[in-house]
Amino acid sequence: MTTPLTRRQFLKLTAVAGGSAAAMGGLQAVLNATPAGAEEGLLAPSGEEHIVPSVCLLCPSGCGVLVRVADGRAVKLEGNPMHPINTGSLCPKGQAAPELLYNPDRLTGPLRRVGERGSGEWEPITWDEAVQIVAQKLNDLRAAGHPERAACLYGETRGQMRPFIERFMQAVGSPNAISHDSLNIEAAKLATYYTQGVYDLPAYDLENSNYVLSFGANLLEAGRTPQRMVSGYSYMRRGRAERGKVVVIDPRQGVTGAKADEWIPIVPGTDAALALGLANVIIRSGLADSDFVHNYSFGFEDFKDGEGKSHKGFKEFVLQNYPPSRVEQITGVPATTISRLAGEFAGNPPAVAILPGKGGLLNGSINGLYTAMAVHMLNALVGSIETPGGVLAQRYFPCADWPQLPPDPVAERGRTAERLDGAGARFPLARHAYQAVADHISEGYPYPVEMLFLYDANPVYEVPGGTRFVEAFQKAPFIVSCASFMDETAQYADLVLPEPTFLERWQDDAIEGLGYPGVGLRQPVVEPLYDTLNTGDFLLRVAQAMGDPVAGAFPWSNFEELLKDRLKTIGAEWETLKELGVWMIPGYRFARRGSEKWVAEVVGRDRMSSPRDGRFDFFSRELNCALGELGADELKALGLSQAGDAVFLPHHEPVTYAGNAEYPFTLNVITLMSLGPYSAAANMPTLQEISGMTVGERWDSWLEMNPEAAHELELRNKDGVWVESPYGKLKTKVRLVKSLHPDVVNLPHNQGHTAVGRWARNRGVNGLEILNPASEPATGLASFTNTRVKVYKA
Amino acid sequence: MPRWSMVIDLDKCVACQGCSIACRMENNTPIVSPSEAALGRSMLWNDVFPLRAEEEGAIASAKARFLTRPCMHCEDPPCVKVCPVGATYQDDEGLVRQNYTRCIGCRFCTVACPYGVRYFNWYEPAWEDGLDQHLNPDRVEGRGVLEGPAVRPKGVVEKCTFCIHRLHKARARAEAEGRDFRPDEYVPACVQTCTGKARFFGDLDDANSTVSLLAQSRRAFRLLNEAGTHPKVIYLHEG
Amino acid sequence: MKARSVHPDNKHEAIILTPLQDITTIDRWLWALLLGLIGLGGYAYVRQLTLGMGVTGMNRPVYWGVYITNFVFFIGLAHSGTFISAILRLAGAEWRKPLTRAAEAITLFSLPFGVASIVVDMGRPERLLNVISHGRFQSPLLWDFTAVSLYLCSSVVFFYLSLLPDIALCRDRLTDVPAWQHRMYEILALGWQGRPEQFHRLERVLDGMAIFLAMLVVTVHTVVSWVFGMTIQPGWHTALIGPFFLLGAIFSGTAAVVIALAILRRVYHLEESLPLGLFNSLRKLLIVFTLGWLYMMVSEFLTIFYGNIPEEMEVFWQKFTGDFTWLFWAMTILVFVVPLLIFIFRGKDSIGWMVTASVLINVGMWLERFVVIVPTETRPRLLYELVQGTYRPTWVEAVITVSMFAGMFLLYAVFTRFFPIVPVWETAEEPGAEVPPVTRRRRRFGVRR
Ligand SMILES: Nc1nc2c(c(=O)[nH]1)N[C@H]1C(S)=C(S)[C@@H](COP(=O)(O)OP(=O)(O)OC[C@H]3O[C@@H](n4cnc5c(=O)[nH]c(N)nc54)[C@H](O)[C@@H]3O)O[C@H]1N2
Ligand SMILES: Nc1nc2c(c(=O)[nH]1)N[C@H]1C(S)=C(S)[C@@H](COP(=O)(O)OP(=O)(O)OC[C@H]3O[C@@H](n4cnc5c(=O)[nH]c(N)nc54)[C@H](O)[C@@H]3O)O[C@H]1N2
Ligand code: SF4
Ligand code: SF4
Ligand code: SF4
Ligand code: SF4
Ligand code: SF4
Ligand SMILES: [Mo]
Repeated sequence: MTTPLTRRQFLKLTAVAGGSAAAMGGLQAVLNATPAGAEEGLLAPSGEEHIVPSVCLLCPSGCGVLVRVADGRAVKLEGNPMHPINTGSLCPKGQAAPELLYNPDRLTGPLRRVGERGSGEWEPITWDEAVQIVAQKLNDLRAAGHPERAACLYGETRGQMRPFIERFMQAVGSPNAISHDSLNIEAAKLATYYTQGVYDLPAYDLENSNYVLSFGANLLEAGRTPQRMVSGYSYMRRGRAERGKVVVIDPRQGVTGAKADEWIPIVPGTDAALALGLANVIIRSGLADSDFVHNYSFGFEDFKDGEGKSHKGFKEFVLQNYPPSRVEQITGVPATTISRLAGEFAGNPPAVAILPGKGGLLNGSINGLYTAMAVHMLNALVGSIETPGGVLAQRYFPCADWPQLPPDPVAERGRTAERLDGAGARFPLARHAYQAVADHISEGYPYPVEMLFLYDANPVYEVPGGTRFVEAFQKAPFIVSCASFMDETAQYADLVLPEPTFLERWQDDAIEGLGYPGVGLRQPVVEPLYDTLNTGDFLLRVAQAMGDPVAGAFPWSNFEELLKDRLKTIGAEWETLKELGVWMIPGYRFARRGSEKWVAEVVGRDRMSSPRDGRFDFFSRELNCALGELGADELKALGLSQAGDAVFLPHHEPVTYAGNAEYPFTLNVITLMSLGPYSAAANMPTLQEISGMTVGERWDSWLEMNPEAAHELELRNKDGVWVESPYGKLKTKVRLVKSLHPDVVNLPHNQGHTAVGRWARNRGVNGLEILNPASEPATGLASFTNTRVKVYKA
Repeated sequence: MPRWSMVIDLDKCVACQGCSIACRMENNTPIVSPSEAALGRSMLWNDVFPLRAEEEGAIASAKARFLTRPCMHCEDPPCVKVCPVGATYQDDEGLVRQNYTRCIGCRFCTVACPYGVRYFNWYEPAWEDGLDQHLNPDRVEGRGVLEGPAVRPKGVVEKCTFCIHRLHKARARAEAEGRDFRPDEYVPACVQTCTGKARFFGDLDDANSTVSLLAQSRRAFRLLNEAGTHPKVIYLHEG
Repeated sequence: MKARSVHPDNKHEAIILTPLQDITTIDRWLWALLLGLIGLGGYAYVRQLTLGMGVTGMNRPVYWGVYITNFVFFIGLAHSGTFISAILRLAGAEWRKPLTRAAEAITLFSLPFGVASIVVDMGRPERLLNVISHGRFQSPLLWDFTAVSLYLCSSVVFFYLSLLPDIALCRDRLTDVPAWQHRMYEILALGWQGRPEQFHRLERVLDGMAIFLAMLVVTVHTVVSWVFGMTIQPGWHTALIGPFFLLGAIFSGTAAVVIALAILRRVYHLEESLPLGLFNSLRKLLIVFTLGWLYMMVSEFLTIFYGNIPEEMEVFWQKFTGDFTWLFWAMTILVFVVPLLIFIFRGKDSIGWMVTASVLINVGMWLERFVVIVPTETRPRLLYELVQGTYRPTWVEAVITVSMFAGMFLLYAVFTRFFPIVPVWETAEEPGAEVPPVTRRRRRFGVRR
């Protein structure tokens, strides 16, 4: 043998030699307890196993899942490789979903309040009783001729559930189906509407982009559809031959900025100026897509309207007002950087500028809308609308039409009433103004509320100054909460009607974020654990109990049947959909500029007032229709500092902050990958355990601060601090994070619960308690980023 | 004989921690209380954490970096060398395995592993009020003793197994179907879930496997290579 | 029938045997107190056993804490006896004779607690026998296990053999002790008769064992250090760790002997058998050790400092300016600065000062062990800023530690009440039988003076 011994062999040899030398061998034989030569093998679990597809609902991404069910227990979720959103992946929340299903703090059956409101005294009732009570109340309201006094506040409501709830309220006779969109995506939806004429979030074809500019879209941690964004992102980075560049504009770096090629710290609330500064350079350097801006857009150049009045176009407006030197002063981003970014963005097609789910858009002034418009226009400027690597209009499966509502004079009258949230009235541009409902109920505006229905909504917790809802509830005689947990809001309800978790119920889920139409299906992967009822089924039973004409609007015996009926037009059998968990038409994607499809689906699709002429508005005609008649004073009252054409062109409106010089930091409430904004996630112990990975915190809140700022305040890492705004103060600990704008402090969202469950309760602080509770006067959006705070040692 | 290896592309990894939790749900690692977590007693076989930030530089150049870290299944594993009873050992396919029924809980391996990937059961693992219903029922009996996702007793050390039970299941399936087992029939849970599609798994001895090809990349590096442990988890640099 | 034998004449015999005849109330109170502490420790240990190791302050990455520190410390203390009786025996230092037994007793009574510390530190102590049934000799822990068990066995034999003539003495002289006590002497004396050839053979065996033990002393503590040294952790992975541990062990062991002697001298009125000169001899040894300790410290840390390897420096700064600053500097002051000053300026002819210095040395050496072990763990090689280790022992660890020391004291105290702590036969003026003079004996074993 000539081969030299490797080190490992040598050690093995010495081991043998050493062992015998110490005469342990004999002992070893005597004492050896292990059965000799036991075979390696697997003990299979007893009982049968199968895989059931479904769709995750721990965030709005809507990832397809395959659930491993062993012995009737859901033991593991995997991503559904067929599902285009996540293509087989799952984020930590999806992975932890069994902790939602088997959460010991879930509600186990319908409850009726017996003690004082909020006292926590309940009695169990049957579902039949619950149906009777609700049907009776609604019929009473209708008999009194005030069906509009019933209102429904709903949270993240997926698939058919949203139109179903709207239909239910309409059938009853109320216009008040109020979504919580004003807390998040409404700004981006409105901006897409006021420019492109599509009231929806744009989809981004990241896979084919060469250059991505993210304006506070926290792509990799939140960003509305995180899994969709991440899979597009990873393909763009390493899945194809050429690696696309990513630039993140955000006052904080976060994971998204850290993973990007470049992170641009910006003064919060100034993104509109930056986007327009970029537009300025692009236009000046002749890099704009001239075919698009001249043939498929409106208001790029100066123009004369039908009455012969001349108006300013986007080009002149931007060239005059947003030279990089001025933008540098507003945004803190160096003029040279602005010029370089503009050159890169326009010079590396296809390039795309991404809007956040909420990001910095909810800054309590109409600036949020203009910011989103300005960002979205960057895409138009370089011709990235409806092109590979650009922005796509989201298409949906054409569902079967809802049957006509039966004639019902009571309901018809009720439906025409003004909305409780003031959308379209107090807030002229708003479609929903969820958070404003609290004050309106207290005020009795526009009429007293008799019955409040909450579906998957927790306003007491999720809204800035949410305790105003608690006060408002005193004026609402009857409150029903359909929730899976006894959350902060359900605590004050009169009836609490538990819905099964997403792993135990039927629900569809439209695929969003890819452009082409697709649908996922939730189905009960295990038998419901408790005496819970799908809210869809509950409402169907209520409608039946109410009798005609309301019952006539709902010819389905249960929600599963409703889904089957609605989805019969998608081109897949129900059984196929059940087996695969998802159905889509991926080829159906881009529409040629100016084609019929373009007009019908891409530009102007949802326009209500201005012409559907396939032209993208740089000068917003829809805004002009909505605000054009208003005088300067009225505009001022809506928070506009400008008048004239500037109102209809995106521009930078300085954000008015609650809290003046005394309060040096802007409070930035951030979304975490681990917890996200959904309350139930805070009660999943595994997610709590990984919650603050980036700073090494867990099970708690923390305040992120730039070390230089902290140094000036003589604060050291982990010091206890008070965070004080004009609305209150919170105590937490400070964590120094270098990659953060020195004038901004971050507080993670979804801690500081006072209810929900054992793991969520009394853990950290809820930043929303000290946020400015005002709504934005024109759009009815909530204000998340216009509160300033001071920080001092606790 | 396959030589199992994992490649992690840090350019694609988005530090989401999906791998951490996939591992927990697959391998039944227990949840620990907040106070225990504060002591660093969390059990995430695959931890994700930030690396140290550079000390110098203007804010715009300060960049956070993150690492995701399973057991390296070292070819020359210090943990195996020091174990007095062979409770941690290397099998023929190079997997570094852990025998829960033999471990005496001396924690020599935990201090010897330079990657900090070994976890000790300070208490009896427990799941509150029915939360244990989701536990993975799979068990592996390696050398006649307990391994894999079977719930561990207190006082022993555990770590990433490269989801060895999945390997056994895949082999058993191939056998039941009367055909040869192919190395690509088996992926660990963390690889399967990876949101950034940043993790790859396969046989390093097969020159054409994805992991072999990626291991040749100019971006490839191994963690603490200077420690002489020859990790079989190979990272790809960012950028 | 009572065996009778020849005993060498020792003029201190009466005094040495006095403590054996009269167990005082103070003794009983002391024993009760120590037993109480042991009981508390037992309670703490049962808690740890039933609830889990989580009741300690250990964590990730500080997997080893006070228990392992105790282990190293007890094994270190154990070096006193072997060093004094074996190495000094081989070196022919005759002055050691009166204190050999006192020193060996420390070995004997601290070693079990060293072993116990390991068991207490184990997550699954009931699987201890796996070490035998599945032992792997690649593991330094197995080396430890073997070396320490061997050391324990040989020390017991060595100790017992050198005690044998004195047990026989007790059997013959102490006739008015309780019957069971006398019976004990009878059994343990194994029929020793003190015939010259018996003494002769005894000396030969002891000399032979001394060589073996001297080797073991070096091995055992080096091997103990290798548990750390054979890992590649910064601060542990150094060739100097063996000699460093060995020196530290002998150092603290010798200091412990000083303390034991001073107490025995005072409590049992052994001023004449244990003359002041002994302390001065020990003082000289201790001066050498403390200087040697400094030498090793400096060579170790200077090498690290100039090497400037980042991981090593992390640990280095942990000790010099980081979390362990206080402990590190306290240790330096306790084992080096103050003792050296005392030895040079005060220690001569002053038992009080010697004891002070020795106590400080032992406290300092415990800290030293702690500071070698824990800081390294708090800064592992794969360091990430946010997961840095800290370690705060809990009451369980504290109580168990205290109870172990109590146990050691108890064994020692009880022993001295039943057996002569100064070897009567070895310190006799005239050998009762013909014993070859030391020098001659030495030559026989090839050992030159
Ligand atoms: N992991 C996970 N992902 C989720 C969810 C979840 O539950 N979990 N929920 C989803 C939901 S409901 C939503 S609405 C979306 C929200 O998705 P995002 O809108 O992406 O989430 P945010 O974290 O609110 O905001 C993103 C970034 O905006 C930055 N920002 C704040 N002010 C400004 C500013 O003035 N300018 C700029 N440029 N940036 C600013 C913040 O620092 C933050 O980094 O996330 C979705 N994604
Ligand atoms: N400052 C600040 N405020 C924020 C955010 C922020 O980032 N910063 N995020 C905002 C955003 S983007 C969002 S999306 C909201 C999130 O806020 P919400 O949409 O209100 O979501 P949750 O807080 O989860 O509240 C929904 C409630 O529904 C119940 N529930 C859980 N699962 C189910 C179910 O399957 N069915 C039914 N019927 N009920 C269920 C639970 O009891 C839960 O409390 O918070 C918003 N508030
Ligand atoms: S991204 Fe959202 S939908 Fe997808 S797995 Fe995570 S929580 Fe579920
Ligand atoms: S990473 Fe650590 S535990 Fe894993 S094989 Fe290497 S030394 Fe052993
Ligand atoms: S803790 Fe267990 S696996 Fe680790 S070295 Fe000790 S016996 Fe081996
Ligand atoms: S390979 Fe398996 S055991 Fe290892 S980290 Fe990944 S999921 Fe966990
Ligand atoms: S799942 Fe993939 S992307 Fe997420 S942290 Fe783990 S390796 Fe990175
Ligand atoms: Mo949201």
